[in-house]
Amino acid sequence: MKKLLTLEINGERFDVAVSPATFLVDVIRETVGLTGTKKGCGIGDCGACTVLIDGRPTLSCLTLAVACTGKSITTIEGLSRGTELHPVQQAFIDKGAIQCGYCTPGMILSSTALLAENPSPSEEEIKHGLAGNLCRCTGYVKIIEAVKHAAETMAKEAK
Amino acid sequence: MHGEPFGYEKPASLREFESLFAERGEDAKILAGGTDLFVLIKERLLAPRLLIDISDLPELRGISYDPGEGLTIMAGTKVAEIERSALVREHAPALAFAAANLGSNQVRWMATMAGNVCHASPAAETPPVLLAHGCELVIGTPGGERTLPISEFFLAYRKTALQAGEYLKAFRLPPLPARSAVAYQLRGLRRAMEIDMLNMGIYLELAADGVTVSDIRLAMGSVGPVTYRARGTEQRLKGMRLGEEFMAAAGAGVAEEATPIDDMRASAAYRNRVIGVLARRGLEQCLEQIGKGRGEA
Amino acid sequence: MNQRKFSIIGTDKVRKEAPAKARGEAIYTDDIKLPRMLIGKIKHSDCAHARIISIDTSEAEKLPGVKAVLVGSEAPNKYGIVPQAPTETALAIGKVRFHGEPVAAVAAVDEATADRALDLIKIEYELLPVYIDPHAAMAKDAVPLHEDNKYGNIAYMAKQDFGDVDKALAESHRVLEKTFKTSYVNHVFMEPHSCVARFDDNGDLMMWSSTQVPHYLHTMASQVLDMPMSKIQVTVPTVGGGFGGKGEASNNELVAALLSRKSLRPVKVTYSRKEVFFQHRGRHPIEMKIRMGVDREGYLTAIDYDGIMDGGAYGAWGIIILFYTAAMLHLPYKITNVRFNAKRIYTNKPTCGPMRGLGGVQPRFALESMMDDLAIMLGMSPYELKLKNAIDGKHDTVSGVHVRHSEYKKCLTEVVNRSGYLEKHQKLPFGRGVGLAGGYYISGTAYTLYMSYKPHSSALIRLDTESGVTLQCGATDIGQGSNMVLAMMCAEKLGLPYESVHVISGDTKNAPFDLGSFASRVTVAAGAAVCEAADKLLAQLLPVAAVHIGCRADQLLAGNGEIYSKFEKELRMPFWDAVEKYIDAFGPLTATGSYTPPRRTGEFKGGNVGHSPTYGFTAHVAEVEVDTETGEVKVVGYNEAGDCGQPINPLSVEGQVEGSIVMAMGQALYEEIRLAPDGRIINPNLHDYKVPTMRDIPHIKTYAVDSYDPDSPFGAKEAGEGPIQPTIPAILNAVYDAIGVRFTELPLTPEKVLQALEEKKRQEGLS
Repeated sequence: MKKLLTLEINGERFDVAVSPATFLVDVIRETVGLTGTKKGCGIGDCGACTVLIDGRPTLSCLTLAVACTGKSITTIEGLSRGTELHPVQQAFIDKGAIQCGYCTPGMILSSTALLAENPSPSEEEIKHGLAGNLCRCTGYVKIIEAVKHAAETMAKEAK
Repeated sequence: MHGEPFGYEKPASLREFESLFAERGEDAKILAGGTDLFVLIKERLLAPRLLIDISDLPELRGISYDPGEGLTIMAGTKVAEIERSALVREHAPALAFAAANLGSNQVRWMATMAGNVCHASPAAETPPVLLAHGCELVIGTPGGERTLPISEFFLAYRKTALQAGEYLKAFRLPPLPARSAVAYQLRGLRRAMEIDMLNMGIYLELAADGVTVSDIRLAMGSVGPVTYRARGTEQRLKGMRLGEEFMAAAGAGVAEEATPIDDMRASAAYRNRVIGVLARRGLEQCLEQIGKGRGEA
Repeated sequence: MNQRKFSIIGTDKVRKEAPAKARGEAIYTDDIKLPRMLIGKIKHSDCAHARIISIDTSEAEKLPGVKAVLVGSEAPNKYGIVPQAPTETALAIGKVRFHGEPVAAVAAVDEATADRALDLIKIEYELLPVYIDPHAAMAKDAVPLHEDNKYGNIAYMAKQDFGDVDKALAESHRVLEKTFKTSYVNHVFMEPHSCVARFDDNGDLMMWSSTQVPHYLHTMASQVLDMPMSKIQVTVPTVGGGFGGKGEASNNELVAALLSRKSLRPVKVTYSRKEVFFQHRGRHPIEMKIRMGVDREGYLTAIDYDGIMDGGAYGAWGIIILFYTAAMLHLPYKITNVRFNAKRIYTNKPTCGPMRGLGGVQPRFALESMMDDLAIMLGMSPYELKLKNAIDGKHDTVSGVHVRHSEYKKCLTEVVNRSGYLEKHQKLPFGRGVGLAGGYYISGTAYTLYMSYKPHSSALIRLDTESGVTLQCGATDIGQGSNMVLAMMCAEKLGLPYESVHVISGDTKNAPFDLGSFASRVTVAAGAAVCEAADKLLAQLLPVAAVHIGCRADQLLAGNGEIYSKFEKELRMPFWDAVEKYIDAFGPLTATGSYTPPRRTGEFKGGNVGHSPTYGFTAHVAEVEVDTETGEVKVVGYNEAGDCGQPINPLSVEGQVEGSIVMAMGQALYEEIRLAPDGRIINPNLHDYKVPTMRDIPHIKTYAVDSYDPDSPFGAKEAGEGPIQPTIPAILNAVYDAIGVRFTELPLTPEKVLQALEEKKRQEGLS
């Protein structure tokens, strides 16, 4: 039996009818049509489907859509500030942290959550915070540089 | 990939949860974080008819400390909250460390320690530390609650002492006595996102002389069907004086009491060889912490 | 050296698609949703070797929402990347050869319905013996996987013999013999394969697919669907990595097309991660028995190679890879006596195939390990021995391969200096060590995979006053950044901003022919085609500008958006004014370019393999820490120095090198697909198939040595597959330096290390 729910995604409200067994990633991609959230493994091992729920990095492939009513969901499409890229997005672009781009949305959202909690993370803290986002192209070096760079940019902006 | 369809209920209060669980408990599963549960459902190893979502029940969240009772961690508390909690870092740093090494940051924000414990996998991260702490479990029963030492909780591979209609409500870690400490040791192939091939929680308490072992708990993971304590070894070590002989006896003892099997992650022989190393290293860590504590006092 | 003043080449340009990727707006194949589109799903075999007695699809067909059900006999044409020896069908016919093999497929209105329909398909099997070990598969009485194969389960055999190996070994000062075994590893690109296929009412087929090789998919779809290539168009949306794993047609692509033809609706088939492991095409596990000799001074005398390749169930790229392992023995060291003897074996497991650095990684592991051993036997630094044997700037191998440009010696020296190798080697405390290894790779192949004389790459550039610069080239960007490389080259040639070049690529209809993205061929081959097209454009445009400016055309250059005389600064005009004048006078301004590699061959079987226009080189030093109580190996430091010619985009070169190192580190230490005796994969997922996480990586420093291949477009060579070659032996040589144990089997788990340490202790106790 499908249930009618209202999900708040990127500040907008979406009324969707879904079966209780539907995972958030599929509602985001198929029903709402935000395909920036990626599916890489289906069982929480790769981090490609990461979204923020109430600011916390969450695996949308292991989260039921029905469990997300009343919560604020941020997908990669909701990260930029209007037309302007988020500093983390900009840093990933500038530092060469994007190759095939498939891990990128999840990686950027995890980085954003990390920086929200810890505005100037050490290299070890970056590695600890992002270890759940697999990337096979970059060897992670440029991603770590991008997160450090974003932290600096955000610190300057905050001043 | 997708399993059978299931129903979903999200009670608004603990009371509502308890009555629903009493009514539907037989074909229902509790959904706390879902990071283990949904993997099993997706791989068709589990097909519950109903999921009861307790993830937002305020009565089941929170961490508190009382000098008499110790640390209380409610079952619905997220692993990430345990990892970050100042109270846990102060009173159970090894638990904060184990929490930090569970899965990924995403998993830690989703999963609960209760899920990690109730899943009853012998490779789970937190049970060895909880066993080392002598943790007591508060179990919700139909119309009441009971307590159970965690050492009596794991009955067999993925089987716990929870009876029909019961659920895990809270963890109580008694205050650590003077001259005692807990350590956690783990081994996996990678340095993150691992299902441990071996882990261990170690509790050491010294007598007033600072050199005699007055109490010790050695809880081993991934060396048997459940996480369990090397009780024979613990008995033999109690009363011993610190030193090389003690360390050697601890290492040899756990290796003897370990009953590992060969599996995808490591062989029994490897586990047998390395479990003793973990014991030594854990004990050394405990000693270092006890020494530090004394320095400060 | 050549003129190397560039305004765009050699700068860290940002990829044009990067912002869309950062916003989550790049469209990958699985993101496509067409009107009336169905979801296709595949039913996989649940046994590893069996005859199919019957397939009953009647219940599935009755399920509401199911629009088509497909079985193998409906598409009997075999296909394969090597067209002379096709071995595969879109779905199994008569027999299954590995656990997970596609047997039937459905198209339904949604995924849940498709899944239910799969459950309703009943297949009856008669089990056959399962061979997951090549030796068992080669046994005399073994049941052949392919009944029409000539030599039982030996898919291919090859022998090559150069010089006089027996004599050279007999006369050697030292001869070492060792057996090495590599593991069964997967690419683990992050995007699972996906394809959307749509037939229209004219009978034309459109395929959107996450492929590296739209051309080869085009040919194979034509074979399997039995329709002319001109009625098929393949186009490639954004691709989430390939590393070789998307380097030939995969079952989901053919099944999507067949289901679409049957249902006359668009069909999408996207793999789950488990299905990616079934499709596989990962690196061949090889058991290599090698003898290698040196003379008193440390010069290599001979290599005698005997290899058994575990091929899995089907042919795929197998024969090509077999010959690549042969070719790879001859470089980057001077060696005149080489014998190669190898077989590729059919086994009941997912098929092996091309994976980053194919053919090279396994022998490189063995050879670089043995060279270290030989150096130490001679009391010589491995650096000295490797440098002594390294090829010079130009080299011809005994197998007839011509290297026109090499800075390999520079790579060795740079990496040794930058890492402090000589200060550390044999001098660090027990448990810590450094290891050096070198390697190389082709920059594209000299031959196509089928007999053909056409150019391997072609490009079309159109300049017009409305659309600006449009560069069309069939090369496929799979995340490596080839669109950026080609746009940078085009912009440099025309003297226009990089941002002004619009690239249309990865499409068999809208872009001119290119073989695809594999063998590190795009920068050199497609790059040369783009450069030729741009030169031809200028040859048309400059005379028009010359008339206007009033000077000779051969004195004009294009730069900074202008056309100007190289002698008088004031003689100039805006580039786009010249274009306008050209079009006013002559009409459209377009030019094409193409590239055909220089042909060389050897007078022996497989002699076409290994030839490349030019070669990239690299040398690595790894530093490791071994926990001698638990056996854990931790890579703590990593240095690389590489010769990729002129880096077109240094930031992207670093990205290729760093990605290669971490991928190979995974293969050295963690990665392995494990099979149960019945052929079932135990770990077809990313928690038990372990690729490195961010927490596992060491500090990595890469360095591009000064290099320029004057015969290459802008002096460039490959950078994406050479750098994966030396990582495994560099790490294992470092482990040897740390604990004095030579490991010959991958992956190097703590278990193996601890066992070896205990054995060593026991041996030392005895002596």
